Amino acid sequence: MNLLKKIFFIDFIKGLSLTFKYNVSRTITMRYPDEEKWLPYQRFRGLHTLNRDSQGRELCVACELCAKVCPTQCITVIPMEDVGTDLKSVPRGISDRIAKVYEINLVRCLFCGFCEDACPTTAIRMGRDYELACFTLDCAIADKKKLLTPRDIPAEFEGGFVVKAKFIRNDEGIKVKPDLSKKKRWW
Amino acid sequence: MGNEFVGDKPRRYITQNSELITIFIMATVKINGKEITVEDGTLILDAARQAGFEIPTFCYQARLSRLGSCRMCLVEIAGQKKLQPSCVTPVLHGMEIFTQNETVKTARASMLEFLLANHPLDCPTCDKGGECELQDLTFKYGPRQSPFAERKRRFHEKDEILSPVIVKNHNRCIHCERCVRICDEAVGAKALGGIGRGAMLKETSFLNKELDCDHCGNCIEVCPVGSFMSLPYRYKSRPWDLVETDTVCPFCATGCQLTIGTRNGSVLRVRSKIETGINKETLCARGRFGYDFIQSEKRLTKPMAKKNGRLTECSWEEAISQAKNKLSSAKKIAGIASARLTNEELYLFQKLMRNVFRTNNIDSGSRWTDKRTTDALINACNLSEGGTSIFEALKADLIFIIGSSISDENPITDYLIRTTAADKRKNLILAYPRRIKLDSSATISLKHTPGSEDIVISGILNALQNQAVKTDGSQVSESDIATIAQRMKTASTISIFLGTDSLRFANGKEMLLGIANLAKALKASGKNIKVMPLLDRCNQRGAWDMGVHPSFLPGYKKTNSDGMDCTGILEASSKGEMDAIYIIGEDIVSMYPDAKFAKEALSKAGFIIVQDMFLTETAKMADIVLPGASYAEKEGTWTNQEGRLQRLRRALQPIKAAREDLSILSSIGGFEYKSARDVFEEIRKEAPGYQDISFDSLNNTGVLVKGHGAEKQGSRGQGVKGSSETKINPSNPRTLEPSNPYLDDYPFLLITGNHLFHSGRLSQKADVLKRLLPESFVEISDKDAAALGIKEGDRVIVKGKHHEAVLRVRVKQGSLKGTAFIPENFEDVPVNCFFKKGEGIPRVKISKQ
Repeated sequence: MNLLKKIFFIDFIKGLSLTFKYNVSRTITMRYPDEEKWLPYQRFRGLHTLNRDSQGRELCVACELCAKVCPTQCITVIPMEDVGTDLKSVPRGISDRIAKVYEINLVRCLFCGFCEDACPTTAIRMGRDYELACFTLDCAIADKKKLLTPRDIPAEFEGGFVVKAKFIRNDEGIKVKPDLSKKKRWW
Repeated sequence: MGNEFVGDKPRRYITQNSELITIFIMATVKINGKEITVEDGTLILDAARQAGFEIPTFCYQARLSRLGSCRMCLVEIAGQKKLQPSCVTPVLHGMEIFTQNETVKTARASMLEFLLANHPLDCPTCDKGGECELQDLTFKYGPRQSPFAERKRRFHEKDEILSPVIVKNHNRCIHCERCVRICDEAVGAKALGGIGRGAMLKETSFLNKELDCDHCGNCIEVCPVGSFMSLPYRYKSRPWDLVETDTVCPFCATGCQLTIGTRNGSVLRVRSKIETGINKETLCARGRFGYDFIQSEKRLTKPMAKKNGRLTECSWEEAISQAKNKLSSAKKIAGIASARLTNEELYLFQKLMRNVFRTNNIDSGSRWTDKRTTDALINACNLSEGGTSIFEALKADLIFIIGSSISDENPITDYLIRTTAADKRKNLILAYPRRIKLDSSATISLKHTPGSEDIVISGILNALQNQAVKTDGSQVSESDIATIAQRMKTASTISIFLGTDSLRFANGKEMLLGIANLAKALKASGKNIKVMPLLDRCNQRGAWDMGVHPSFLPGYKKTNSDGMDCTGILEASSKGEMDAIYIIGEDIVSMYPDAKFAKEALSKAGFIIVQDMFLTETAKMADIVLPGASYAEKEGTWTNQEGRLQRLRRALQPIKAAREDLSILSSIGGFEYKSARDVFEEIRKEAPGYQDISFDSLNNTGVLVKGHGAEKQGSRGQGVKGSSETKINPSNPRTLEPSNPYLDDYPFLLITGNHLFHSGRLSQKADVLKRLLPESFVEISDKDAAALGIKEGDRVIVKGKHHEAVLRVRVKQGSLKGTAFIPENFEDVPVNCFFKKGEGIPRVKISKQ
């Protein structure tokens, strides 16, 4: 048997077959960030988002529980009364108490997600943005406007695969914009 | 207490001297197996707390009447089928009580479940969240779940604004009625009540309309949930974000403890803590809402010096060196300091004036009287003999208050007296021309002509000595005086509260002497007498203790040569004799009772240095203006009217380039004091009454100052020798001279003083307080209003001999006919313009516009 194996290079062919199999199989190298991007699962804890309800009102009532529970004390909330609302116009928030200031210091944040757990109105959610690099420390403070901006990846979008993406580099920092329509199974 | 008394009922005896004596008998009870002996009649709640067992409560509060409605304090008593509310059930000898067993625990949890059934649980948006008693107790005793699935009670969507400072959410109310009770029993405003029944009960204002009350905010403080909330603090912060500093209220001499909450260097609220200080959780509108002057945009932030006739900003070095040069080169120099400064600053001020600039011309402005009257007040109240606790004074059988619109001037003293006077065995006698809030609690309220206090006092004195009583000119009936004298005779302890109005009347000195004589006569007849001052500036007593007075050194030691008092300083200045005047924190032009004279006098002064927080009328006349610090920005001590030394703590750094007054004084005088503590150490050496007090051990209760051991001032030669010698001749009333040519033309006597929402000119800078009372008014009695055909709210012309103003009318039922009141606080209505130096109480004419 051993002799036959040796004559016909059986082990050699076995080994090479695996090599050739991979040679013709799908590639597993992700061309990140230039062409592709990994789109995380929904439970991923990336850059926070502040959400609105279906009528477009801010969900945050500035209760400061996120700031209280935060282990690194990176969240600053200053509430105010939304006095500008009357019954005719759509109020800014779901309650007359809204956040005047909502800031997260991303340098201190350890993305534990306690804020998400503490939030009584599901206003703050951990998003799926993970490209947080920038050129100055100023951009490390995420203010209310930034947090309220809708993200490229909607919360209800299922994740866990690679999509086509475009690498953008400008004065604000770098960003990899995904194209959600072109999903691609990785692996 | 002998064992044989244990278990008996309290016995009340009437002795031969017809005094009522109550003997408390002790009762021994077993609480959770622990035996404790307490006075019979003690509530189970108090007994359990004494034994160290905690019982949760909502509706119970020590100073309020018992309600027993919240049922949180239910306990089990052996032998009784149902649980009993411990806050209304007294102990009985031999009772066996359980406060922690399963039945009680289940009952508590169920009570909380009931309360939470209708409580909206909108904690995230509720301002009380984080310091809510319902939250705390639910976490501690509550059920963690509720089977209640029905709709919650909901009165409204939006919170109701009940006043410029109070906002109400009825949905959150748990019906403990603390707000109603504190408003009735302590504040006396009686502004709140219940509408509806059962779960639909709303505790709110009359017909749920906007409140017209004291706006004291005590309902906010006592509310265990977020039903009553403060409007200025609305949605500003969370309680755990606030850095809280305990300090003392700067608005009157009651000396309430308050807690300033700051966040990131801005003052967000003032609150009071339960069972803390003499105020015990109550404050008045100015204390609670008058904090925004601290960070007002109108504050002075940089020193200013006069250049080419205009005040321009300059550097501190320049201002200090200029002030130093001018003060040291001046021949005749004087200093006037506000009685709102701390003891340390006042001490340093008098040290600067006396030791560095060698003058005794220093004074503090309490109603701008002459020093003889001040001395008479110091003497009548025995200020040099140390402090008397107000609680001791309130134990008296008879409380006599004269010369103060106490409900406006010292609101918290008013609350304390009201609570005490609820005991109907006590006599409260009030003598004041206007009707004030405390009148409703008084047994006898005298309405005498302003300025005729001396006649009233001498009348009482005569009646006590069974002599003929004459009350001509005071409009007080002789029978009232006789009744008061009778009550005084039967009382064994008497407290006399003496206001500062006497300092403004031409004959205030006679009245004060009369008080001293009255006290002496009563003391001679074996009664326990306490004379308490009611002062309007927070550290007036401290200022006198510290020797900011032309004839006293610290500790009431006599000076070698008397200096000039404020009037003397202004007189000298008007003759052009004053080379330099150093004024700290006083607005003489707007407060001295003769505005024209004060302005003229100051314009002739050689050089004026004003150290203040705001650019006041006086500061506008100054050559150098130095920006000082507010009460929240400094360390130090204040001595309140009782003689209680209390500690101020710094909550903030002085605004922008402003400095603490202590450091300004140090740099002008070249002193090397690092802190208020260093100065206090020196005060301890100089003023014997402060000797035993250590600066660091001053806590929230404060310490009563001891006697200074100085020789008693015999009221400057007119000594109180015997009551009969200094009797005042009542047939010669001084204020209502029949020959007064103005009597018919000017039928009203004008009283001035602080309004409830204001204190001097300081509180005018607080915008919230200005919102409570936007414009000044003139208050007249209903009889006068009817006679003149004037209705509440009409605009009238108030015309005096020297000044005229157009004001809205307020009609007060029950005030004395022929008196008009204008608050002295409003910048646009300077009441001191009505005054003329030496004329005493001004007379005015009121006519429809």
